[in-house]
Amino acid sequence: MKPAAPLLMLLPALVLVPLAVLLPPLLHGGGWELIGNFALAAVTPSLDPVVLASLLAGLAVTAGMALLGWAGSLVLGLVLGVASSRTVWRTLTGSGVPAELIRRLLAIPRSIHELIWGLLLLQLVGLQPVVAVLAIALPFGALVARVLSDLLDALPTANLEALRAAGAPAPAALLTALGPALLPGVLSYGGYRLECALRSATLLGVFGLGGLGTDLKLTLQSLEFHELWSGLWLLLAVMLALEAIVSLLRRRWLVPGRFVLARRGVGERSREMLLTLAALVPLCLLVGRGLGVDPAALLSWQPLPGLGEGDWAATWALPWPRLVGGTLLLTALAASLAVGLAPLLLLLVAPLAWARQGLRLLWALGRLWPPPLSALLLLFVLQPGVITAALAMGFHNLGVLGRLLLESAEATDPAAQEALACGGSGPRLALLYGRFSGLARPYLAYGAYRADVILRESVVVGLAGATGLGSQLLESLSSFAWDQLLALVAVYALLTLVGEDLSDRARRQLLAERR
Amino acid sequence: MAAGPATAVLALRGIRVSGRDRPRLEGVDLSLAPGERVALLGASGAGKSSLIAVANGLLAPAAGTVLWEGQAPARSRRGRRRQQARIGTLWQDLRLIEELTVQQNLNAARLARWGWPRALLNLLLPLDTAACAAALRAMDLDPALLEQPVTALSGGQRQRVAMARLLRQEPTLLLADEPLASLDPRLAGELLALLLAQAEAPRALLLSLHRPDLLDGFDRAVGLKDGRVVFDGPVAQVNRALLADLYDGTPQGPSP
Repeated sequence: MKPAAPLLMLLPALVLVPLAVLLPPLLHGGGWELIGNFALAAVTPSLDPVVLASLLAGLAVTAGMALLGWAGSLVLGLVLGVASSRTVWRTLTGSGVPAELIRRLLAIPRSIHELIWGLLLLQLVGLQPVVAVLAIALPFGALVARVLSDLLDALPTANLEALRAAGAPAPAALLTALGPALLPGVLSYGGYRLECALRSATLLGVFGLGGLGTDLKLTLQSLEFHELWSGLWLLLAVMLALEAIVSLLRRRWLVPGRFVLARRGVGERSREMLLTLAALVPLCLLVGRGLGVDPAALLSWQPLPGLGEGDWAATWALPWPRLVGGTLLLTALAASLAVGLAPLLLLLVAPLAWARQGLRLLWALGRLWPPPLSALLLLFVLQPGVITAALAMGFHNLGVLGRLLLESAEATDPAAQEALACGGSGPRLALLYGRFSGLARPYLAYGAYRADVILRESVVVGLAGATGLGSQLLESLSSFAWDQLLALVAVYALLTLVGEDLSDRARRQLLAERR
Repeated sequence: MAAGPATAVLALRGIRVSGRDRPRLEGVDLSLAPGERVALLGASGAGKSSLIAVANGLLAPAAGTVLWEGQAPARSRRGRRRQQARIGTLWQDLRLIEELTVQQNLNAARLARWGWPRALLNLLLPLDTAACAAALRAMDLDPALLEQPVTALSGGQRQRVAMARLLRQEPTLLLADEPLASLDPRLAGELLALLLAQAEAPRALLLSLHRPDLLDGFDRAVGLKDGRVVFDGPVAQVNRALLADLYDGTPQGPSP
């Protein structure tokens, strides 16, 4: 009894059953009025010019931090990615061992979420625009490096060997043989990273690193819902515009989407791509000036308070099994919710074209709405804990997965679905059998990757209380127990690495079984 | 209007389908009585595929009426689905669901009549094995294939599975858009014989065809040229002159 592909896709939604049981006791009775006010304010955002001007200024800071952090991550990622490629090392020195070493080392910055980077840097150098930029650039750079070196090492080496055999020097041969083939993949991933950077910059703002996120959090805490929604709609406009530009460039340059179902051909218009990249340099310099980013600020460290002997006994005495268990449970719940709900909701609205547009909007809101803010909002009606945090994380990731699923569903061949509908199947069953069958494995493979992201990200909903490592980390940070902090970051990194490995395996297996 | 025994399975009147520079179909009348087997002849671009698409409801004509078993297309979603369930199409590209087994594919033809529980269960357990095995046997296939994924089948087997799925749907109107185009002559003959054998009253068959040599088992032939019906009569009346007119200026033979 092995579930067939389309059914496999719906299985994660079974998480709704335990949630339906566990959720009602978590309601604490009050707060519905606040939620109602919040929802109503969506259609009556504040149009006060003073408010809008302040929000726009915040938005500019957030967008600027995202752009600079992203650009920094690309530069870092390119250098480190080449440095951790086996093919490159083998061509230059004849041995792939240094690549492996660098790759392992890079796992550490990668496994630490940008929020932790941001908060650590904040302690070190104080509130500076450069903190948020660096907090994004470091982990993203390590992520880009990994993807880039994977891409590099997966390229066929026949051209490279031919050039080397013909006497071309190693660096020139590498650039000529691998450069052009690499560009589409890098650009596609880079575009996705820019979208992530915007979300991260907003999130960092929520934790006080400046920009629109800070405004959103303040307006939410002071229950100024009309102003909150003005900020949200502005952010939504920017995010949708960015996503539209990225997908337009992807189509124009024929680079593969993030969720590759069919290879559509190789990159074209290389000159245009390079020019666009070159245009980013002056843009980044301008933005950097505008934000007042001062890299020199990184050099003047502030004296750290109370950095004495570590109290390792107290650190050891932390309830580790509960902390780790809470984090894992949070990840599993949020991932199942996000992975399972996206296809389920798409099936539900299948007969109604307009409802699909509604889902698109809901998912866009999920993507831009930082999970800690959803958690704060949920706390109006729910008690703090893992489930509340999981709902917040789930909603955010549902936004990411839902969009991906909808776009891939629209990009795949409609023939089988059409045939079923023509034979009288209802629109939902035709979608399930005709489209989801082909989408299931790549979708779940992406879901496995997403679960890994959620694990890294679970720290951000630490504010929702009692959610495992994340809450403890924020607590230790605010009391500056650096010994605990060190141990927590290490455990987080370890978990993330194990999770990354598991999700890689799951992904490979899912894609291998796809015939 | 009740569908009596004499009611046409399919009746098209004055069908017009717009195209880019000229109508793809213009003033097409066509009627299929129960038990009738009709071959649709015409060059590429004559409008055969459009006519099949109008007949199976995929394409709404710009003008004209479509009656299935005497009924106009139902307004309600449920009524329309019930009508569609009685129209079976054999697609040129087969449209099997590659990720599912043969049995799941055959049962997919029942989705119109099944509710959600059975539709989901079909993705977990082998359902209606006896009926599925019978459908395979009717197409000269070994029932042992039921558990196979359709990707494991040969080209000829896939063609037969698609036909078995058509039977499993139990339609009254059988439509096929050039189902034999990509097959070798012997296989094409065998499959056509199987298909013709299934088209007994109350069923009717409309099959578009590129090869006049395969006309033997049909009752009637309809010739389309530039979107209009230029011939509608017994197969015996199809002669060299008519074919030359139908394929006027275009090379005759299997379509690519």
